[in-house]
Amino acid sequence: MAKEKETKTMANTVIGSSIVVDGEITGEESLTILGTVKGKIATGQAVVVEPGANVEADVEAQTVTVSGKLTGNVTAREKLELRPEAKMVGNAKAPRIVVADGAMFKGNVDMDV
Amino acid sequence: MANEDPCFIGSKTTVRGQVSGKQDLVVEGRIEGHISLDSHLTVEESGTVEADVDVSIATLKGEVRGPVVATRSAVLHATSRVAGKIKAPSITIEDGARFSGEIEMDVELPADVVPNNP
Repeated sequence: MAKEKETKTMANTVIGSSIVVDGEITGEESLTILGTVKGKIATGQAVVVEPGANVEADVEAQTVTVSGKLTGNVTAREKLELRPEAKMVGNAKAPRIVVADGAMFKGNVDMDV
Repeated sequence: MANEDPCFIGSKTTVRGQVSGKQDLVVEGRIEGHISLDSHLTVEESGTVEADVDVSIATLKGEVRGPVVATRSAVLHATSRVAGKIKAPSITIEDGARFSGEIEMDVELPADVVPNNP
């Protein structure tokens, strides 16, 4: 029960681990992905790609945190963070980009310098 | 069948396209397209679903447009506004629910009654 409450306050939208979304997710609240999303993601808040998640989509958000697998172009208005478990293929555009030791990344980086 | 991590579509989120899976889904926002689940779909009061729905159990409290097929049961709560065809072995419509469409319950008809839809 406590876990459910925590998840609810952490993120308003959660794509569960066995869920596959093929299409477009848009909104104005944070999005946590544990499952599979193909297509396009656009939100004014945070996007978190959890370990085990598989995202094949272009992502546009305030902050993007990747611990799972992401294939696609990412535009973060504030920050993109690749955690040690992250596997990302695609172009990254953000004013601040953090790539942790162990993260796999292939693509161009644009920090708008 | 109950999965540990819940799946929510928040009230400020819209999903367009196909949503499929094996775990329970709670919709407080909006889904347009197609929903195909081996589990329980709940459309909350703030939720809007304009989709072909194919689930095990459908609990509808919000707005739903489109054919709904539930393999076990469908419940239209008092707050629901539903339009379209509903097919399920067990269907509950609460007092206050608004529904316009067709209901199909797979009732075994007596042999001398000819079904009107082929």
